[in-house]
Amino acid sequence: MNHAIEVDSLSHNYGDRVIYENLSFSVPTRKVVALLGKNGVGKTTLIRILMGFLRPSGGQCKVLGEASHKLTAANRERIGLLFEGHLTYDLMTIEEIERFYRPFYSNWRSELYYDLVDRLKLPNSHRICNMSCGQRSQVVLGLIFAQSPELMILDDYSMGLDAGYRRLFLEYLDNFIGEGDKTVFITSHVVQDMEDLVDEVIFLQRGGKILQMPLDEFRTKFRCHSFEMEASSKTPSSDQLITNVDIHERRPVIYSFASKDQLSEHLSVHWPGVKLMHDIPMSLEDAFIGLTGKY
Amino acid sequence: MLLRSIFLKEWLKIRWFWFVALALNLGILVYLFIDIRHQFQVEHSEMIWYWVFELRRLLYTEIKYIPAITGAMLAAAQFAPEMINGRFRLSLHLPLRNELLVGSWVLFGAIMSGLLALIDAIGLYFIVLTWFPQEAAVSAVLTALPWFLGGWVAYFGATLVLLEPQPLRRLTYLGLSIAFMSILFLEKGYQEYDRVILVLSACALLFVPAIMLPAHRYRHRN
Repeated sequence: MNHAIEVDSLSHNYGDRVIYENLSFSVPTRKVVALLGKNGVGKTTLIRILMGFLRPSGGQCKVLGEASHKLTAANRERIGLLFEGHLTYDLMTIEEIERFYRPFYSNWRSELYYDLVDRLKLPNSHRICNMSCGQRSQVVLGLIFAQSPELMILDDYSMGLDAGYRRLFLEYLDNFIGEGDKTVFITSHVVQDMEDLVDEVIFLQRGGKILQMPLDEFRTKFRCHSFEMEASSKTPSSDQLITNVDIHERRPVIYSFASKDQLSEHLSVHWPGVKLMHDIPMSLEDAFIGLTGKY
Repeated sequence: MLLRSIFLKEWLKIRWFWFVALALNLGILVYLFIDIRHQFQVEHSEMIWYWVFELRRLLYTEIKYIPAITGAMLAAAQFAPEMINGRFRLSLHLPLRNELLVGSWVLFGAIMSGLLALIDAIGLYFIVLTWFPQEAAVSAVLTALPWFLGGWVAYFGATLVLLEPQPLRRLTYLGLSIAFMSILFLEKGYQEYDRVILVLSACALLFVPAIMLPAHRYRHRN
C-alpha cells in the first residue's frame, strides 16, 4: 500500500455552506504530512470524516485501504487518533487509563506511556481531570505512543499547549517517527512547529481548494518579493502567476511560485510601473500567510 | 480481559452514583420496615389484616418508583460523561466492534441496576415475611415486579435518550419510554400484572437491540 490515506472527490457541506467540493489528496505511507489551513476551512471536519464520525455529502475516503466510514476494528488498532482538545477519559487516573487501554492493543508498549507521564512527576493515582492542558496532552500522547500505531492522525495537538509542552510533544513525536514505518497526518495552528517535522504540506483553503507538495519544494519555490511602483501604476493583484499581494506590510510584497525573472517579465506586461526589489526570506509561517492571506 | 477493561471504566463512572443509589434503596427498605412495624404498633393486627386482604391495600408503595429513579440515575451517570465533548468518539475508535462495546456497556449498567432491584426484592420479601405468611411475601415481590421492570425501562430509555444524536428521535425515545413506564405503574392491588408481566418483559427486551441504533447514528452523522 503506497498511501495511508486517500481522499477522492470529497464533498461536504453544512446546510448551504460548502466546506469542500471535489477535494482529492493522498497521504503517502511513512511520511509526515501536515494539513494546514486557517480557522474554519474544515480541518477538523476532514479528520472527523477520515475517522468515520461524519458522513460526507459525496466522494470517498480510504484509510489504510478501507473506506473511512467502515473501518474495521483491526484497522482501528493500527490508527492512533488524537482528538481536538486532547480529549480523553479524564475521570480516570494516570494508572487507570493505561490499564483500561492496554488490553485493546496487541502491540501495547506500557514503557512508552510511563516514560512520558513519569516526567510529569505526578503520582499514578493522579486524576487526569485535575491536570493542566499540557499535562493532559502528555498522557494522551503517551497513550497513542503505547498503542504503537502505524498511522497517527493528530488533530490540532498544539491547542492549549505552551511553548515548552509543544516542544516536548514534538521531540517525542520526532523520536517515535524515527522508529520507522510510521505515517503521521497532523493538523496544527502553530505553523512554525511543522518546519522541522513534516515531509509534505497540504494547504487547505476555504471551499476545499488545496495545494499539496513536499515541504522542501514549497520552501524553495514559494517566494516573497518586495516591490515598488510608480504613483500612476495600478496595484498588482492575484492572477495566474501572482499568488498574493500584501500592501499592508512595511514594504509592499508579492508572493509567487514563479521565478524572479518570470515574475518581472509578467509584471512589465500586465502591471507596468511595478518593479520587483528584493527577495525576502520567509519562515514557514510567513509563507503560510503569504499563501492563504491574513484574513 | 477486554470485558474487564470495559467494566472498569463503567464502574469508575458510576461507582459514587451506585453507592448513592444503594444508600437510597436501603434507606427506603429501612423506612418501609419501620413504617409497617409502626402500623402494627398503633393498629390491631386484625385491622391490618383487613386492610391488606379484604380491602387489598398495598403496604409497600414507598418502594414503587425507586427502581425507576435508580435506573435513570445510573444511565445518566454512565452515558452523560460519554456525551460531554463528544467523548463517545474515543470509545467508538477502540479496536472493538461497536455493537460489542455498547452491548457491554448496557450489560454492565443492567447488571448494576439489576443488583439494586434484587436487593429491593429480597428486602421486600423479608420485610413482609416479618409480619405476614410466606404467601404474602411472595405476593409482595410479584406485585413489585412491574416496578422493577420499570427500573429496567427507565435505564434503557434514559440510555437511548442520552446516546441519540438526533433531537427528534431523542424526543420520540423519551415519549416511548414514558408511555411504556406509565403502563407499568397502573396497579391498584396485588399481582394485577401476573398475566401480562412476561409479555411486558419481552417488550422491554426490545430496548436492548434498540440501543445499537443511536450508537450507529452517532458514528455516521451527516
